Amino acid sequence: MTIGLRIGPARRRKDAGQEAGQGAAATDNRSRIRAFGLRTRLLLAFLLVAGVSAGTTSALTYREARTALLETAQDTAVTSFRDHAQQTAFSLPLQRGAALEDVLRDIARKGKPHPWVVFAEYGSVRASSGENPVSTVITPELRRAARANPHGSFERVVKDGVPYLTIAMPMVFKTSPYSVLPSGLVLYAVMRLTDEQVNVDALLVAARNGALPGLAVALVPGLIAARSVLRPVRKLHEAARSMGSGRLDTRIPVRGSDELADLARTFNESAGQLERSVRELREAEERARRFASDVSHELRTPLAGMLAVTEVLDEDADGLDADTARAVRLVSAETGKLAVLVEDLMEISRFDARAAELNADEVDVAETIRKTLQNRRWTDDRVRTDLPDGIRARLDPRRFDVVIANLVGNALRHGGTPVTVRLRTEERTPGTAVLITEVMDSGPGIRPESLPHIFDRFYKADAARTRSAGSGLGLAITLENVRLHGGTIRAGNRPEGGAVFTVGIPLHAEETGG
Amino acid sequence: MRRVRRRRRAATGTVIVAAAVALLGGCGIQGTDVIAAGGPASFQAFLDREYDMLLFFRSPDGGLSPVIRSTAVSAAFGEGYVEAGAVETDGPVPTEKVVTTLLAGPRKEDRVAGLSTSLPLVRGGKVEVEPSPGGGVTARLPFALAGLDSTALRQLTCTIAYSQDADGQVVVTLTGQDGASRSGTCGLAPGDTGNVPAATGTGARSPWPGTPG
Repeated sequence: MTIGLRIGPARRRKDAGQEAGQGAAATDNRSRIRAFGLRTRLLLAFLLVAGVSAGTTSALTYREARTALLETAQDTAVTSFRDHAQQTAFSLPLQRGAALEDVLRDIARKGKPHPWVVFAEYGSVRASSGENPVSTVITPELRRAARANPHGSFERVVKDGVPYLTIAMPMVFKTSPYSVLPSGLVLYAVMRLTDEQVNVDALLVAARNGALPGLAVALVPGLIAARSVLRPVRKLHEAARSMGSGRLDTRIPVRGSDELADLARTFNESAGQLERSVRELREAEERARRFASDVSHELRTPLAGMLAVTEVLDEDADGLDADTARAVRLVSAETGKLAVLVEDLMEISRFDARAAELNADEVDVAETIRKTLQNRRWTDDRVRTDLPDGIRARLDPRRFDVVIANLVGNALRHGGTPVTVRLRTEERTPGTAVLITEVMDSGPGIRPESLPHIFDRFYKADAARTRSAGSGLGLAITLENVRLHGGTIRAGNRPEGGAVFTVGIPLHAEETGG
Repeated sequence: MRRVRRRRRAATGTVIVAAAVALLGGCGIQGTDVIAAGGPASFQAFLDREYDMLLFFRSPDGGLSPVIRSTAVSAAFGEGYVEAGAVETDGPVPTEKVVTTLLAGPRKEDRVAGLSTSLPLVRGGKVEVEPSPGGGVTARLPFALAGLDSTALRQLTCTIAYSQDADGQVVVTLTGQDGASRSGTCGLAPGDTGNVPAATGTGARSPWPGTPG
């Protein structure tokens, strides 16, 4: 019992190792494609900061420049318009006609910074330097302002996407050297801000062209920062995976004194402790295994002697009185069992020590099974066979013999006769054929709660039956042998009653032989 | 937890977008309100107070428009020249004559420009202008003031004021045949109440309808 318990962790460790290996493969696939990883996030953050600062600077510069540009244009236009308007002379009331339009055209030609269209409004007189006497751009607000207050005023109007500067200039005349009187005449100038539009657009383009290289430059420190963070992280990742796959001596070079270096240091310390614990555990296991092996070996020699003696005693038992004869036979039988147990223990010790070797050979499987049954003298009608000829597989004949013998023997002992051995091949996944061997009995089957433990060492399916013919290691040895072949074994119950053990072993013969 | 984070992230995005929009503030050139920029432009109107009368008529928007009319009567204004020999008067044109001319209404060239008068058409009748006791002038008019609107009163007041004084800063008292009396100043010069259309109601600052005595 103690041996079984001590051997247990060794198997669990092995399974855990396999699982860790699979897990590492899965993370590997995941890490290749990472849409929103650390690098992306860092780059985005850098881009965002650079974009916001460049954008803010550009936008503010652009706004200031635009305002300055437009103010200059407007001030020039208003001043120039007033200057030119002041050089005119009109009679009152204003006469409509060519003379008035000539004056307006004259002002229009002198427009600064661009030529403009000049409109005159007086009473019901409407005239302009252009083709239409009334402008469609001038707003009622501007007209009202010009009529209400004798001030020059301007308004920027965007009409159909084209920006215009409209200037209203109420005209006054002098009644005395110190006094002026509004004449009722208002001159308007309408100027397209095309050049200003072009300049403003150029400013916008310049701001954008300035911001974009800034963003590109920001990528460089972003990449460097991402690299400085990602390299330790990647190292850590690789180290963790390497540890997961069993290389406990993995360590990370600690560089610098930042948080990542702390993490690396902690990782190294944890790895060291883990390595120590695992080593201790392994040593303990090793000791336990060696002990079991040593005990078996030590027991074998005296047992061999005892077996020889009991054989002699057995032969002479008939000559003894009844009580003594029964005692002698009992001793003889128990010694035989002890010998089997010791042999099984040594076998399982070899498996645990990974000393078991597979001496594979290409054999005819049906023939092998038949031989096994013949050797055990299971040729009567207790055992039925369904063995198609011609299936060849790469097997260790001795170990396969043990597997079949154990399963059939187990079925005969615990299940009901007849026992059926059936052989077939099956295509699991395309290209990999599996040799399926089924051993079925006609007994009551295995209780469901026993199924998960049926391959455990010294497991007794029937608690009441403390003593049985077997060593209690038979199915465990069978399992190890099947595993050695790279196969699987499954215990179950048939719907029509009776237990069934299914052994699946890959048909290496067809791959290599074909 | 995740929902809260997602919501916070969405809020951050909104703030950034809003800030960007506010900063860019719309590209290109935007329209503005009406912005005052400096004084008016003064032009040469060839006003010669020795020979010319300054009459105020009603423009289509309800304001007053000054009209310069020469006393060189025989020649229509704008026909080009005035012969020196035709000038009979010496010194400023008498206010009585100016008011009579105003009462005669706009001429053809004034009407062509859209000018009209709010005053009743008065032919004959005597206009008397004399200084008021407390400064300013008093004009006695050959018709009743009672039915006149404010534009008519301003026409009279401004015409008389600018006839009396080059700056128009004279208090004018109008007395009608009906004995009604109105007193006020013209107030058309910049810095004073402007040439406001009568309909806009800014006439509150204008001196009518105060009726002293």
